[in-house]
Amino acid sequence: MVSTKGTRSVKKILLWLFAILILIQFMQPVRNHGAQVVLNDISNVIAVPDNIRGILKKACYDCHSEETVYPWYANIQPLNWFLNSHIQKGKSELNFSEFSMYSTRKQQNKLSAIENSFNDNSMPLSSYTIVHRGSVLSSEEKALLRNWIQSSKDSLIRKNF
Amino acid sequence: MALSVIFITACGNNNRLDRTTQTGVIKTVSDSAKNASRTTLFNLYFKLKNSFAADNDTDAANAAKEMIAAFAGFKANSLTPEQSKAFSEIKEDATEHVSHISANAGNIVHQREHFDMLSKDMYDLAKLTGTGQVIYVDHCPMYNHNKGALWLSEVKEIRNPYMGKAMPVCGKIQEELKL
Ligand code: HEC
Repeated sequence: MVSTKGTRSVKKILLWLFAILILIQFMQPVRNHGAQVVLNDISNVIAVPDNIRGILKKACYDCHSEETVYPWYANIQPLNWFLNSHIQKGKSELNFSEFSMYSTRKQQNKLSAIENSFNDNSMPLSSYTIVHRGSVLSSEEKALLRNWIQSSKDSLIRKNF
Repeated sequence: MALSVIFITACGNNNRLDRTTQTGVIKTVSDSAKNASRTTLFNLYFKLKNSFAADNDTDAANAAKEMIAAFAGFKANSLTPEQSKAFSEIKEDATEHVSHISANAGNIVHQREHFDMLSKDMYDLAKLTGTGQVIYVDHCPMYNHNKGALWLSEVKEIRNPYMGKAMPVCGKIQEELKL
């Protein structure tokens, strides 16, 4: 008696969950494709060679620019919400598409923070690299980025003092 | 309406002398408000620095949290427009660093990365607003893969906030800021 009642309410809960899962598929956040991509891009203040841009694009731009390339799972809720919250938080910390609007002080420090982030392996986020295997930075890529960051910082200093 | 006319004429009458004394008073009032904000801020920074020297991530997070409020409440109104711009850039940047430090108890490595950048901001702030006290600028050549980093200290003795207890006396005084 008790157990049938139990299974019935479990079924009921599952049914509700399923219904909610279907319903939230229709709630899709606005996609992250800004209009300002070129206007305030990092390349307006710092030279970004093609190989560097390539690395940043594949490993960082999905969460740190207005140019997100949406993966297949972006069509599935609640995965898209997780992705979207990463994009919003990521952009508020560092946005390559807004980089030229930062003060020089902030530009310098963001370059340092970028280097720290891949030295510590805290970026790209591990929840991202699980799906995007190709976004894991190799030691050669890290070395390229490190050199680029150093010369970029030097050029910012030369420009301002 | 009539009242405001009277007020305006009243102002018009004894303008010169009154104006100058008034702005003079405003300036000293805001100057001492600025100096008080500055003292609060630097003392919190020293508290933060000493927490790092003791390898204490929780105390560091707490001090950093207080610094968020201290920056928000900083009375910077006696600065020239140019200084004011420099100040708001420092404030924006530094606030980001103290926010990271306060949010990252448990990850002292990451906290120290932001402490490095914060210390440069505080150095520039000291240059901008003066210090009101003797402050030592110390330098540690080893931190961050031998890139080195500076910190500010209220005492002459070296207590390294980057290396902590592992290398407490690593570093040396690089500059002395007076008032
Ligand atoms: C899946 C999304 C995602 C990707 C991909 C990603 N990030 Fe982040 N990033 C975030 C989020 C979210 C935050 C803010 C929260 C945090 O610090 O964990 C962040 C924060 C940062 C910060 C600020 C940390 C600090 O201490 O100031 C830097 C710098 C950064 N990311 C650099 C990078 C770089 C460089 C890459 C590429 C190699 C990258 N990120 C890839 C999501 C991402």
